[in-house]
Amino acid sequence: MMHHRKWTSLKGAGLLAAALLAQTALSSGARAEDRAQLMQEHRGGTMTLSAVSAAGTVDPMINYTAQFWQVFQMTYDGLLKFKQADRKEGFEIVLDLAEALPEPQDDGKTYVFKLRKGIKFSNGKDVTASDVVASFQRIFKINGPTSGSFYNNIVGADKCLKDGATCTLEGGIEGDDAAGTVTFHLVEPDSEFFDKLAVPHATILPADTAAKDLGTEAPPGTGAYVIASYDPNDKMVLKRNPEFKEWSVDAQPDGYPDEIVYRFGMTEEAAINAIQNGQVDWMFDTPPADRLPELGTKYASQVHVNPLAAFWYAPMNTNLAPFDDVRVRQAVNYAIDRDALVGLFGGDVLAQPVCQILPPDFPGHVDNCIYTQDPGPEWSAPDMEKAKELVKESGTAGQKVTVIAEDNATSRAIGTYIQSVLSELGYDATVKAISPNIQFTYIQNTENKVQISVSQWYMDYPAASNFLNVLLSCASFTPGSDSSINIAGYCNKDLDAKMKAAMAQSITDPDGANAEWAKIDTAFMEQAPLAPLFTPKNVDFTSARVGNFIFSNQFRWVISQSWVK
Amino acid sequence: MAIALFQRLLQMIFVMFGISALVFLIFFATPGADPAARIAGRNAAQETVEAIRKDFGFDRPLPVQYAIMMKRLFVTQDLTSFVNRGLKVVPQVLSAAPITLSLVFGAAVLWVVGGVAVGVIAAMTRGTFIDRGLMVLALIGVSMPVFWFGEMMNLVSQSRFHDTWLFSWVPGLGYKPFSTDPWSWFKTLIIPWFTLAALYIGIYGRVLRANLVEAYQEDFIRTARAKGLGPMRVMLRHALRTSLIPFVTMFGLDFGVLVGGAALLTEVVFGLNGIGRLTYQALLNLDLPMILATVMYASFFVVVANAVVDMVYVLIDPRVRGV
Repeated sequence: MMHHRKWTSLKGAGLLAAALLAQTALSSGARAEDRAQLMQEHRGGTMTLSAVSAAGTVDPMINYTAQFWQVFQMTYDGLLKFKQADRKEGFEIVLDLAEALPEPQDDGKTYVFKLRKGIKFSNGKDVTASDVVASFQRIFKINGPTSGSFYNNIVGADKCLKDGATCTLEGGIEGDDAAGTVTFHLVEPDSEFFDKLAVPHATILPADTAAKDLGTEAPPGTGAYVIASYDPNDKMVLKRNPEFKEWSVDAQPDGYPDEIVYRFGMTEEAAINAIQNGQVDWMFDTPPADRLPELGTKYASQVHVNPLAAFWYAPMNTNLAPFDDVRVRQAVNYAIDRDALVGLFGGDVLAQPVCQILPPDFPGHVDNCIYTQDPGPEWSAPDMEKAKELVKESGTAGQKVTVIAEDNATSRAIGTYIQSVLSELGYDATVKAISPNIQFTYIQNTENKVQISVSQWYMDYPAASNFLNVLLSCASFTPGSDSSINIAGYCNKDLDAKMKAAMAQSITDPDGANAEWAKIDTAFMEQAPLAPLFTPKNVDFTSARVGNFIFSNQFRWVISQSWVK
Repeated sequence: MAIALFQRLLQMIFVMFGISALVFLIFFATPGADPAARIAGRNAAQETVEAIRKDFGFDRPLPVQYAIMMKRLFVTQDLTSFVNRGLKVVPQVLSAAPITLSLVFGAAVLWVVGGVAVGVIAAMTRGTFIDRGLMVLALIGVSMPVFWFGEMMNLVSQSRFHDTWLFSWVPGLGYKPFSTDPWSWFKTLIIPWFTLAALYIGIYGRVLRANLVEAYQEDFIRTARAKGLGPMRVMLRHALRTSLIPFVTMFGLDFGVLVGGAALLTEVVFGLNGIGRLTYQALLNLDLPMILATVMYASFFVVVANAVVDMVYVLIDPRVRGV
């Protein structure tokens, strides 16, 4: 999951008019035919970005944050890439360093990629098949965060996971420098293989890149920009890559600004002021609640609101009382007033109520809400009577329940709300807020005996399994570990098998598989290991001089395609 | 003198050892803080977490881990952050220090001058309208939380009145190094200096006034007056000099603590990436190496500031010398 940092309270944002939505929808990207002319008019200048804090290492194979994945779009390339385009188009996978999309061979277990010719790294060296092979070995050598979850299906990966230092991926990947081809051999067919090749962890770096976390020293890349300097306590400076020639507008378009400066350390309040004064062009963090009315009225044309493929949810520990009783989990789902939670988050413009696991507009999502008054396609209102009835049946009323929230305004408010719902259902409920940077690992560990918590999930790539299989498969549950993403500790062998089947089916029949995922979503919701709350939207506030704002559903704002001149 | 200094040094080392051991142990006792899982990243496979645990040496006994970390912090100085990996903590602290020092030095000048002025004027005009006015102002200064005052200053100078003649000179938030552009350095810091100093001018002014009022009842002041000295001379040479003792004590402690990172809220509000903000970020992320480095740095300054205060006593108060 990409980590979205620091949600601040968005209470009282009602004034951020719905008109914003209409306005954002109109600002679509530039057409290809007039791109050359736009380039001529708007190329140049320095763009200044701001974030409260930096997001760690700039090693593209290790960094796992939404904040820097957005930056890596213009600095690094993989064999494939998510199209740098508006809204849903951003989910499309396009060819990047690869010349053609390979046909699956050997029942989808073998893929042969052919590299484009004439692409150079920013240090002047040619991109070769050996670089590709070395890059995939490097993912394991440096213990990349997704080495075990994304790339473990490559033949030889199991050996590499055990001993990274000597990783060769023998039998899993072969490069032919003369022919410019790279061959992958998979243990079993993988419908998400292309998605996994398109995220920044599969970046192609020079073969001689050191096999350790590079930290603040960015390795040479192939993108339109290079990270010239990076100090997490000050700023990151991006400059044009002198070796760059545009080979695909979809995958790696040339950028408009000559230089991009990403500053760290200003608070959200200060960043808003700076954007209004034209000192800064954009901020990463969510604008603070008390400034939203002002933005919605005085600066409406500079605000961009877009839905995110994510959800806020309350995982319930299915191995601990009272949530080891399915009736109690269902009761919580019936009792939660999603409208109230949307209100806590900032209102209709900033969030949308949900009662399913897959977000709206996501592959596999079919409107179907079972926990509402008059179950139907959409959530309408809580059903308190039904909830109380279920709790009564379970005979668990009066037990102690602690809600674990993150210690920030929004999460704490949501935790307190869930506490009030549990109290109303007859439990002795309390809420405990923990530092946002610890809470996520804390609630994953069974030894901390967390009954119910408030958490979020943001997708890595657009596939139903990225929610269902990651969050709820038996394999994602490891008792006693801080790294156990199945927070509910739910393991259902039957549904596990169905998910495996759906993943296999989607290789040949993606639509059929998505229908299957919709059924699996409902099946999980019947067992209710978690309570979905709402799906958030993203608020981008840009300075008056920023033009051509494009929002990709995959990596959000496409920075290099906006101009400041 | 040499013995006193040596004692101070020993004290400092003892304090630093205690703090480092405490910080280290609290970190490992905190649930949800398993550094291996946090470094490995979200949804990392168990094999990856294990590999990192081994790689970083988290599988070794705690005293060994502590010793290695201290060695890397003080001897080889290559200790790197757990969060911003590759970031060496010692150079980072050293590069953040000038920002904090610039902020605290400037504010200190303002608050010493302001505090003395407020105290002296109020004491000399005791009971009058001026005295009461100054004391009310001082109380307001003390009562305003610095982060609120800073945000207000920002709101006025960066947002509401930024485009007027009054504040159009105010540069955007953030630090400009003195070495590259002294004039910008001054401009960016003037509002933070004033904000940070406001509180201390209030406190110091009030304390100094009270001490001066008390001193005026002492025998040596009566003697000085009886000798026929002018009121100015009595005030500055006799009353103020002895009344400065508590002032200096407070100054030493406050200055040491501020340089050590207590100016955090001012730094955060004004986007100055100094020691305070560095510490704060490290604490938020449970970045153990960075916490250790900044805490050591802070305790060093507190101990040094205390030693300096003791020496200044000797200079300003003749009565201390004989003891």
